[in-house]
Amino acid sequence: MSATRTPVSPMPVYLDHAATTPLEPRVAARMAEVLSSETEYGNPASASHSYGDVAAALVESARAQVAATVGAAAREIVWTSGATEANNLAILGVAQYYRERGRHIVTARTEHKAVLDPCRELERRGWEITYLVPDREGLLDPTQVAAALRADTVLVSLMHVNNEVGVVQNIAAVGAICARHGSAWLHVDAAQSVGKCPVHFASLGADLMSLSAHKVYGPKGVGALVISQRGESGGRGRVQLSALQFGGGQERALRAGTLATHQVVGMGLAFELAAKISSVETARVAQLRERLWRGLLSLGGVLRNGSATRSVPHILNVSFEGVEGESLLAAIRPHLAVSTGSACTSAMAEPSYVLRALGRSERLSESSLRFGLGRTTTEADVDIAIASLTHALSRLRKVAGTRVAGTLPAA
Amino acid sequence: MNYNDLTRNYFESAANAGELEGPGVFRGAAGNRDQGTWVQFDLRINGGAVSEAKFLAFACPHTIAVAAWLTERAVGGQVTPVLPESVPALRDRFAVPVEKMGRLLIIEDAWLAAVLPAIDYREGTHIVK
Repeated sequence: MSATRTPVSPMPVYLDHAATTPLEPRVAARMAEVLSSETEYGNPASASHSYGDVAAALVESARAQVAATVGAAAREIVWTSGATEANNLAILGVAQYYRERGRHIVTARTEHKAVLDPCRELERRGWEITYLVPDREGLLDPTQVAAALRADTVLVSLMHVNNEVGVVQNIAAVGAICARHGSAWLHVDAAQSVGKCPVHFASLGADLMSLSAHKVYGPKGVGALVISQRGESGGRGRVQLSALQFGGGQERALRAGTLATHQVVGMGLAFELAAKISSVETARVAQLRERLWRGLLSLGGVLRNGSATRSVPHILNVSFEGVEGESLLAAIRPHLAVSTGSACTSAMAEPSYVLRALGRSERLSESSLRFGLGRTTTEADVDIAIASLTHALSRLRKVAGTRVAGTLPAA
Repeated sequence: MNYNDLTRNYFESAANAGELEGPGVFRGAAGNRDQGTWVQFDLRINGGAVSEAKFLAFACPHTIAVAAWLTERAVGGQVTPVLPESVPALRDRFAVPVEKMGRLLIIEDAWLAAVLPAIDYREGTHIVK
């Protein structure tokens, strides 16, 4: 809902790392160096002098850092303004290039809007889209993809990690199915994956993969589309796509526009640091998530959304029975920064279409919260979250006259 | 969403949340939890006046705040077949967005469901109506 947003002081505990992450101090420092440098401000496309050479070297170094982190070759990385642009370039670009071969795309109901909206746009232009429905845990069976493929299918677009419930799809199996099909390229939205679970572009069998910097403690406003250069000697060649914007021919003429060197450098370093995240840190975040879940479980009338076993460690999505969604969010807002199960995209909040696709009722979808844990999250933060929700639920259930019998089974 | 101070104060305190029992209590409810808004009022009527009022609400902060405020405002007043304050006046007082006007009407329905039987109720030889 539109309203004036007033800063809260003191700031609440930040548990929304799936929405965005704070800039890693080393990344911020390196970006500031580039911005204030007397030698690094050149246009990376300026091949006629050394200022351009210096900037181009920074860009290429960052390209190598990102590529190394996701198991790709540097030449496969095309910079974009973020994962949304990368998704648009992948979906609209492939659709445009292969429009004479076929006009059918396969995706899922639980994809991010940055995938669903380009697909809707293609539907308006005459393409057919098949929207797969996941099971109640949010998982797709790869055989669903196989069943949906047609002779005129040109693209399958699926996310690696779901941004709302954190489940990890079996992309490698889907990649194998697409390869056998022959003419269906596989695009993977991996915006939520890097630094949270293993991501290896080549091993996933993907042809295109979208990346974002700000989900990985990098800057907002920069991302990348990985475009496979494999298959030169294979049976089906390499994926091709049409550009969506034109200008200076940058990024192999796929994404025109002067590169923001400091942004690109920031993304490169953020990805390099993400690759060094230890298993100890991953286990720490997973333990914090389970501490949070156990604390919430004791409140009764709580349901975990999405698979608990096939999910990334930093996301926990929970539905709360017996409370109205807007009141729940209003009650905890002074203490906690989390995402709600409803998308406040217009005058009225809409229940999460992802949770609805998993079979949750409209009411439960509205009274759901997504907790996104991160590198800065501590046990104390988790305990504040539990205490805040304990108080809010107790009060609101009393006001509503709701009696919650006890813990309900997980979805 | 932002709320004005009055809404936030009454939402956070939710004074008078609960139910009443015993003689002279009239109860009215409206709305549906499954549709996101449900409100119940309990009014204790003595000699044609409201001596005590409670509410329950499965609803948004605006609805909870208005219901809480009405129960406070009503005590000591005579039972009449209208809200203690009109829906437009409540909308302005609590800065209720236009898209939530339907929720104020649910509050009005719940209030009337409680007070209309009270007005019809005959206590001894005194007729409240």
